[in-house]
Amino acid sequence: MTALLEVEDLRVAYGKIEAVKGISFSVEAGQVVTLIGTNGAGKTTTLRTLSGLLKPIGGRVTFDGKVLSRIPPHKIVSLGLAHSPEGRHIFPRLTIEQNLLLGAFLRRDSAGITRDVERAYELFPILGERRKQAAGTLSGGEQQMLAMGRALMSQPKLLMLDEPSMGLSPIMMQKIMSTIVELRSQGTTILLVEQNAQAALSLADHAHVMEIGTIKLSGTGQDLLHDEGVRKTYLGED
Amino acid sequence: MHTLPQQLANGLFLGSMYGLIAIGYTMVYGIVQLINFAHGEIFMTGAFGALTVWNCLPDGMNIWAALPLMLIGGAIVSVLIAVGAERFAYRPLRGAPRLAPLITAIGLSLALQQAIFVWYPGADNAKDFPQLGTHPYHLGSIAIQRNDIFLVAAAVVCMVGLAAFVRTSRTGRAMQATAQDPDTAQLMGIDTNRIIVIAFAIGGLFAAVAGVAFGLKYGQITYNMGFQAGLKAFTAAVLGGIGNIYGAMLGGLVLGIAEACATAYIANIPGMHQLGGQGWANVWAFVLLIVVLLVRPQGLLGERVADRA
Amino acid sequence: MRHRSLLLLTTVLTTGALTLTACGSRSDDGKKSGDDGSSGTGSNITLTIGVDAPLTGQNSATGLGLQYGTQIAVDDANSKKLVPGVTFKVKALDDKALPATGQQNATALVQDSNVIATVGPLNSGVAESMQQVFATANMVEISPANTNPDLTQGKDWASGKKVRPFKTYFRTATTDANQGGFAADYAYNTLKKKNVFVVDDKQAYGAGLAAIFKGKFASLGGKIAGTDHVNTGDTDYSALVTKIKQSHADMLYYGGQYDESELITKQLKAGGVNIPLMGGDGMYSDTYIKTAGKAATGDLATSVGVPVSTLPAAQNFIKAYKAKGYPGDYGTYGGYSYDAATAIINAVKTVMDANGGKLPAMNDARAKLVDAVQKTDFDGIAGHVSFDQYGDTTNKQLTVYQVKNGAWTAVKSGVYSG
Ligand SMILES: Nc1ncnc2c1ncn2[C@@H]1O[C@H](COP(=O)(O)OP(=O)(O)O)[C@@H](O)[C@H]1O
Ligand SMILES: [Mg+2]
Repeated sequence: MTALLEVEDLRVAYGKIEAVKGISFSVEAGQVVTLIGTNGAGKTTTLRTLSGLLKPIGGRVTFDGKVLSRIPPHKIVSLGLAHSPEGRHIFPRLTIEQNLLLGAFLRRDSAGITRDVERAYELFPILGERRKQAAGTLSGGEQQMLAMGRALMSQPKLLMLDEPSMGLSPIMMQKIMSTIVELRSQGTTILLVEQNAQAALSLADHAHVMEIGTIKLSGTGQDLLHDEGVRKTYLGED
Repeated sequence: MHTLPQQLANGLFLGSMYGLIAIGYTMVYGIVQLINFAHGEIFMTGAFGALTVWNCLPDGMNIWAALPLMLIGGAIVSVLIAVGAERFAYRPLRGAPRLAPLITAIGLSLALQQAIFVWYPGADNAKDFPQLGTHPYHLGSIAIQRNDIFLVAAAVVCMVGLAAFVRTSRTGRAMQATAQDPDTAQLMGIDTNRIIVIAFAIGGLFAAVAGVAFGLKYGQITYNMGFQAGLKAFTAAVLGGIGNIYGAMLGGLVLGIAEACATAYIANIPGMHQLGGQGWANVWAFVLLIVVLLVRPQGLLGERVADRA
Repeated sequence: MRHRSLLLLTTVLTTGALTLTACGSRSDDGKKSGDDGSSGTGSNITLTIGVDAPLTGQNSATGLGLQYGTQIAVDDANSKKLVPGVTFKVKALDDKALPATGQQNATALVQDSNVIATVGPLNSGVAESMQQVFATANMVEISPANTNPDLTQGKDWASGKKVRPFKTYFRTATTDANQGGFAADYAYNTLKKKNVFVVDDKQAYGAGLAAIFKGKFASLGGKIAGTDHVNTGDTDYSALVTKIKQSHADMLYYGGQYDESELITKQLKAGGVNIPLMGGDGMYSDTYIKTAGKAATGDLATSVGVPVSTLPAAQNFIKAYKAKGYPGDYGTYGGYSYDAATAIINAVKTVMDANGGKLPAMNDARAKLVDAVQKTDFDGIAGHVSFDQYGDTTNKQLTVYQVKNGAWTAVKSGVYSG
């Protein structure tokens, strides 16, 4: 069986500066795969390329059997790839409910959409309580919940989360991470980008460590969690 | 005789026209942060498109019967030019420094004016435009032209229609999303290029309606009518909060009423005799704009948003 | 910094565009004459008479009348060999009724070493910006249409301190001092109007005319119901109409051009204010009636001279104009343009005769022409042509026209003298 997502020798540049310099990895259906690495390593660039917002200068991305090059972002979504971007990027002047409905923009099954909106409210009850409120009025953690809920609304085959714990309080971070565990248990395939390496590694099936545009190290979550170098550089141990 | 009701009505009519044109500026700015300076000319070509339809219709045709056809003809011309400008002039420059599309817009505006001036038969002088009769109705002390009734009715229908479209339709929600965050809108599966085209098209459509209303109201159109009207409408859009469609309409009405009142009453203020009247109305309109922007930099209904850039 | 450069670029672009449109103006002069015309060898030479007028856009119908009125004078001079050995031709430049463009045209004309003198312009405001250019080059300029008294008598003419600012400037049309007064007299004494609202367009011609009308009307005992100013290019006059309605004026006097007055009269009548609009020669044009339609009925305009169609001496001119199919309105200034061009042609002959039948070097010829034009004295097609010490025509004929049955109809002609 081939992997759901197959990234081969992907290279991405901003003008002349190459931010991703030939990385390869894959995500199998049902897995949680994480990319960790310091700020500026190229993680966000990778995700934005996968969802079509950036055009690669080389390499090949295959998703669900289709080569993604030259497919515009709005079509990639329809293939089943959802992307919850770094910094959350909820639509601040729309209500929470409208945000969720936009996540289901390409779906036509109104009954199913209504059901999934309710499911999102079950997953994040606070969103249900404030459904008619402008999304911009939510706290950072609540916005993150909304961004995740919104990404789920497209019924993705693969959910990409870019730093969902960024800037959150420890309690909120806990909540987000436990949601990811819950999604995993429901069988959702996830590509998780995190700076919080401890949390990410402990729930990942596979993990890749990125450093200035390349993958330095790969392994299972547990392997890397116990790797000397990783512990030193990313888990803040001496 | 109390003239205030009449002056308010005068301002309301004029302001409705500013508002209709301002929608085009504000929709496009809201979605691509581009000031489409050629929009005044899109308004002008819509009027000429409608006039062409009128001239092609049999002589002596009832104006009421002709009006729908004229609106369609004007709308086709305006929408095609607006969408063509987006596709061939602005889209290739997306991502270029902001100065590039701005200069393109100014160039396009001059080109459209000259094209009509040179190629439209007799357009080097004012062209007659049919009117819905020129006998006013009287509402108390207010005299109202049929042509103005058409203008206000058109503005209301357009505005209500647009509000319903943006609020309730799927495309409308996609528009709001694109305006707030174009990249993320794409991640929702929204084809933002299509949304941009639709924004230009709606702007063109409203401009054509305004162009026809202008022709009916004044009984004549000129190749350069888009310059002043466009400038006023742009002012209205900024006054109301550029990017906000209700702001555009409100800004138009406020501007129209301010001009009418400045013409009528400023000169009566002791010591202001020299600064009142029609000749100063434009100046007062801009004074109002500056005052509003000093107090509310985002405009009357605009939201305070950090510049993306 | 970015904003500065933006402003700069916009300015450059706009200027560029304006220059481009100026270049696109119609010109009858395609090729340069082979002879540079600077020396009279006695053999046949070609001399150019410049024309400056709005040939496109605002006022162009009247402007084209200037161009082709001059053209017919030149054709007649050539076919009658009025100046033996000299063939005249016309070089017409379009000023678009813009002072800046007029100034550029004046510069182009004085730099063209074939141009001996110029007929034009139409608008007083444009003339102001051209006078100095012609004066510096010692080139005669005869306007068949400018009516602002300042142009010949200086800014303080009204207080009796008349000073001629430029000795190179002449006109065959009489001034607003006469026109405005003539109109006030007609409104008060003939129309029996007692309460007039006065509006002008803030331009040299319009504001001057309105001020003169106002002064004279008040001194006759009439009441000024109110005053206002508009901007050229305005289209909406509804607020103004409401003001006029409230003032209960029995007439509106407008100082300005037909481009605005045709809209004002339409909106006035549509607003239920059924009073006549009266103006000066700036709105005495068929375009006014055509555009304003029924609303124009009963409106009035004064114009200089008497209707060219009633002048026996002008019948050949009208025939020629129609036969050639020339565009534009010749009715107002066509005859004066013809006479202005003829005054130049006659003066060329005078200068050559005094120089043994040869034309002096161009600089010298232009300078001598100024004196020769000053001494002009002949019967033109629109009346007797001669100039007083200010360069004004001595022919002070004026006519009031009224729109009747869709045409300007002369209702009173006369000479106004204060
Ligand atoms: N829009 C951009 N233009 C130019 N360089 C960029 C842009 N976005 C990111 N970069 C550069 O690309 C590199 C990778 O950035 P990014 O993918 O955001 O890293 P990460 O998400 O791993 O922190 C960094 O050096 C960053 O400075
Ligand atoms: Mg990042």
